[in-house]
Amino acid sequence: MTRDEIFAKVVEIVRPYVKNEDALAAVAEDTNILSDLKVNSARLVDIILNFEDEFDIEVEDEDADAVNTVGDAVALIQEKLS
Amino acid sequence: MTQLPFKTRAAHAFQREVGRLFSIIWVLPIAFILRVLMRYHIRDVAEVRTRYRALVKESDRPLLICPNHLTMMDSAVIAWALGGSWWYLFHYSRIPWNVPEYNNFASQWPTRVGAWLTKCIPIIRGGRREDVSRVIKRVQHLLSRGETALIFPEARRSRSGRVEADAVAHAVGRILTSVPGCRPLCVYLRGDRQQTWSTVPARGDSFYIDFEIVEPSSDHAGMRRSRDFSQQIVDRLVGMEEAYFAGR
Repeated sequence: MTRDEIFAKVVEIVRPYVKNEDALAAVAEDTNILSDLKVNSARLVDIILNFEDEFDIEVEDEDADAVNTVGDAVALIQEKLS
Repeated sequence: MTQLPFKTRAAHAFQREVGRLFSIIWVLPIAFILRVLMRYHIRDVAEVRTRYRALVKESDRPLLICPNHLTMMDSAVIAWALGGSWWYLFHYSRIPWNVPEYNNFASQWPTRVGAWLTKCIPIIRGGRREDVSRVIKRVQHLLSRGETALIFPEARRSRSGRVEADAVAHAVGRILTSVPGCRPLCVYLRGDRQQTWSTVPARGDSFYIDFEIVEPSSDHAGMRRSRDFSQQIVDRLVGMEEAYFAGR
């Protein structure tokens, strides 16, 4: 799976939790999931669990600590898939 | 569980020992504020404390107190209700470590000093994941050293006035899955006059408190396991709340 394909899927997974639609319209790899997209921090866990289901990967708590931006999520998934 | 850097471990040991040295000038005054100035009353307090002390005595496994959350004074009231101020002076490790919101309890230096002295590790809720993770690792470390900690398993004070089963914070499960043998103690606390969430309970309120050890389980690994644990803790609190209202 290419990085662009992973990015597109990540955006789709994050979409239902986003409170800032304008930021989502201009989403890029450096978009911060909590501060830019205004996703509730408690919901970030749900998002990462959705990554597990969608990409058939297993994420440890400490792996998830590194996920701040959409690009961080893409990088984590890419690493787990490789 | 990852080992904390020596500097951080030493800082916590120092914080603990200074707090203990000065415990007589903060443990008793807090109890005085709750009992005399605020005129709070814990129902069946002698029985509550006997049960809690027996529970603590039966095992030296780490204890993580997981209460419902309605006011900003919940952790103080719970600690006072369970242990009693004099008992804590001789069982200092049983005063729970807290992770209060930085902006409420530590943004000004006097409150920061107070929080430091009273076994608090301030956290910015919704802050950067690395920062939140650093605080969680500190709590994990302290529990593994035989300390007691208190973490609210709901993500915030309940806006509905009832335990919110869909507002689960992840930290509780993460700590439970990473600290070997850690026992979660679900605590349900409610003042008779507490209709919904607030900053402080009403002056003169009388509190109901109940608690029980739960043993969460999960067939999953990783974050899903932590999530399952957190959810089971909150679900138990929902059950305890139902019992409270059924018995009113």
